Amino acid sequence: MVYSIGESGSVLEKTFILPDGPLLEVDDLHVEFHTRDGVAHAVNGVTYSVDAGETLAVLGESGSGKSVTAQSIMGILDTPPGFVTGGAIRFRGEDLLKMSKKQRQAIRGESIAMIFQDALSALNPVFSVGWQIGEMFRKHRGASRREAKKKAIELMDRVGIPAARKRLGDYPHQFSGGMRQRIMIAMAIALDPGVLIADEPTTALDVTVQAQIMDLLAELQRESNMGLILITHDLGVVADVADKIAVMYGGRIVEEAEVYEAYSAPAHPYTKGLLESIPRVDLKGHELHVVKGSPPNLLNLPSGCSFHPRCRYRQDRCVTESPPLHQVADDRRSACHYWEEVINDR
Amino acid sequence: MSDPVTTGGMATRPQGAAEPVAEAAGAARGLWSDALHDLVRRPLFLIAFAIVGVFVVMAAFPSLFTSVNPEFADLSRSMERPSAEAWFGYDLQGRDVYARTIYGARPSIVVGVLAVIAATLFGGLIGILAGYFGGWIDSLLSRMGEIFLGLPYVLGAIIILSIFAGPRSGASATQIMFIVVLVMAFLGWPLIARIARSSVLAVRHSDYVQAARGLGAGPARVIFRHLLPNALAPIIVMATISIGAYISAEAVLSFLGIGLRAPVISWGVAIADHQSLLRQSAHPLLFPAAFLTIAVLAFVMIGDAVREALDPKLR
Amino acid sequence: MGRYTLRRLLQLMPVLIGTTFLIHFMVWQLPADPFAGRCGERPCSEAFIARMTEQFGLDQPFYIQYLTWLKNAVQGDFGVTFNQVPVITLIENSYPNTLKLALVALAIEGVIGITAGVLTGLKRGGFIDNLVLVSTLFLMGLPIVVVGFAMKWIFWSELGWISPTVSTEVRWSELIVPGFVLATTSMAYIARLMRANIAENSRADYVRTAVAKGLENKRVVGVHLLRNSMIPVVTFLGLDLGNLMAGAIVTEGIFNINGIGLTIFRAIGRHDATIVVPLATLLVVIYIFSNLIVDLFYAVLDPRIRYE
Repeated sequence: MVYSIGESGSVLEKTFILPDGPLLEVDDLHVEFHTRDGVAHAVNGVTYSVDAGETLAVLGESGSGKSVTAQSIMGILDTPPGFVTGGAIRFRGEDLLKMSKKQRQAIRGESIAMIFQDALSALNPVFSVGWQIGEMFRKHRGASRREAKKKAIELMDRVGIPAARKRLGDYPHQFSGGMRQRIMIAMAIALDPGVLIADEPTTALDVTVQAQIMDLLAELQRESNMGLILITHDLGVVADVADKIAVMYGGRIVEEAEVYEAYSAPAHPYTKGLLESIPRVDLKGHELHVVKGSPPNLLNLPSGCSFHPRCRYRQDRCVTESPPLHQVADDRRSACHYWEEVINDR
Repeated sequence: MSDPVTTGGMATRPQGAAEPVAEAAGAARGLWSDALHDLVRRPLFLIAFAIVGVFVVMAAFPSLFTSVNPEFADLSRSMERPSAEAWFGYDLQGRDVYARTIYGARPSIVVGVLAVIAATLFGGLIGILAGYFGGWIDSLLSRMGEIFLGLPYVLGAIIILSIFAGPRSGASATQIMFIVVLVMAFLGWPLIARIARSSVLAVRHSDYVQAARGLGAGPARVIFRHLLPNALAPIIVMATISIGAYISAEAVLSFLGIGLRAPVISWGVAIADHQSLLRQSAHPLLFPAAFLTIAVLAFVMIGDAVREALDPKLR
Repeated sequence: MGRYTLRRLLQLMPVLIGTTFLIHFMVWQLPADPFAGRCGERPCSEAFIARMTEQFGLDQPFYIQYLTWLKNAVQGDFGVTFNQVPVITLIENSYPNTLKLALVALAIEGVIGITAGVLTGLKRGGFIDNLVLVSTLFLMGLPIVVVGFAMKWIFWSELGWISPTVSTEVRWSELIVPGFVLATTSMAYIARLMRANIAENSRADYVRTAVAKGLENKRVVGVHLLRNSMIPVVTFLGLDLGNLMAGAIVTEGIFNINGIGLTIFRAIGRHDATIVVPLATLLVVIYIFSNLIVDLFYAVLDPRIRYE
């Protein structure tokens, strides 16, 4: 498989034959946080992968470990208190966790990039946006100030910021929320990364702007054939853009599926609960289901299946025995002892 | 510069430092007992507290520490070095430095404490009134405060003292102390006022104050029952830290020759009197300077500990 | 930026007028006889009184007096001493030295304070952190008079490294010890301020972004973190320049540096209010203006302020 050359075409090292396996692969990752109250098990054996041109949506409520997994991929986990205690993260077959600091730093921004939820606080308030985008070219590519400026204007044009040349010298707080997120995106795609991680990219935005940003991400992905990891708690946002979804709960993947399969016939009670909690016009008048109960305490995870205290399919076995990821279909897995019952329960 | 306006502000975080979380008056009592609980567990605070205790006793009953008359001068012993007989030696006039250092505690501490009390009462009152009434009263009082804050402390004191308490004014020891206290308070109140005002503003529109007003409580009742308790913590922190700064400012003014002076016996005066004799022998200057330093540090440490204990954000 | 400058300038006017009026009022209006005890040991000479009365319009209503005084001050005319020496001459002779001393102090407090603050802010809770916390509390409490004499005693009486009097040329090297004395309190404050800023900002999202951009750690800390954390510190340094010049009176007095402070110090000793009051007023005005300049500088450093 030949990895496609980025638009700039200048990056020769990106053109090489990949070893077997996906572009980015998280394999049985474990992350712990050492807090004053004890050890919080934030990620407990997460496995997922994304290929070039593929969009993986990682779903889950806050505290499910979806952002922590992403931070571990980027190598921006706060250490301490956070520690990766096991597993592997392979990018083009090489384990990032075994790399030196220097090697990882070279990959950040260059091959794997990330955008964050709140662009206002994620952008540095005291530097102009042009400077911040240009910094990618100056520091990774040794570009001159003038070249960097030119590239920044191109990028701002590309992500749809009107009058890019004029706004180059403006500061983050002078932009609207949607425009700021576009700048964040411009910065992330600056060096044509192989993988883009978007951590709740639209949560802080208005609904109409949300759709625009999602469209932009989808478009950019098509153009440059990136692998896109979309982290969100909002099922509605990902339906149109994602190829497959991974649902996380209590630091584990509880369901992995092609997106339309998951939507039409969820194989895990938690996914099912999430889907039912979306208001639907055709079910107007019906009672809206919500997932009752509160997220698990990571300091003291429930025994057996972590979801059992909130599960309506619960049986005695769930309290004592942690379910493995059952192979439901070719590209489909569910961590539920009773997935067959769930999938057939319409 | 030993400038209470800056030194005092230092240990607290600038500006926003003193905004307490808007709490109900009931919670304020919890704050105090929590703070006390916290304070008695800090060794540094306890040491500083003990030191201050010793100095207070020294200021109140100097004769407990020495039986020597600090005024008694024997010129034949001028500048004699410390010995078993006179622990700190003798000064230029042949007076016992130990006795003078002990007796010097009173004016230094009294001036510092009185100045802080005066500045706190006045500044606190102005600040609460400005915060409570708002509008043009607030504007007027705040602008007035800004004018005083625009005067660097020592410069302001120099100008006022050189006009009103020039050495030729022939004032008595008590009068000199009184004027110095007055000037220090005169220049120090706006800082306290600002803190009081911001803590009043923080709760003025809160529900429980509105409710009290709705139930017909007059301004006096609202201020004393509801606003004052809330403003008290930051004011007390500021005041405690200021005591150290004011004692130190007294020494600066005395050194400059416009603060306390003979016949008053104080640490600052001792430093001023012997500054030119540093080369011959340093002891008449170093011992009072050491006492001054220890006293100031003890007050600053108490202030710092109280601030940490009372600041809910630091818990 | 232009509008911001204008607004700050307008806000400054009431404070400036209020402060100068306050001083003017205390000097010329409050005392029954403004010339009593003004001229040292002897009463003021007739010639001096006549000249001052004429120049400052002392026979006019008080607001005219104030305006006259203000007009003169703006033109750099602060009157004469009772020896008929123009005050402005004294200022011209001594001010550069005071500025020099203040700059030395500023450099010392900046370098030491920022270094200590960054080191402790990045690595909190360690031995160095606790050492700096305790020593800064100590430095903030030390009375400057005591620091001054202690340093003079050590470096002059005991070690003999410095001379008791700074030479009339006021060489930079001679100002190191006095500059250190002048800088003690602010040094400690800057260290604490910097520590708090670094600690707070190192958790900021934009620092995480900078790491995610693949920047070297040196650049993340040295550019992204430091630039943001420096804003309050630079503001403080600017404010402190005015403060240091005003505060140099004690330091200049102890080390005999021929600056404004020593001039004031000596004039106080001679009970010469004709020198003390205008010089102190000048320092106050400089202090107020330095506050303004700092505000403007702040706006340059932090783009968020400019567009408020």
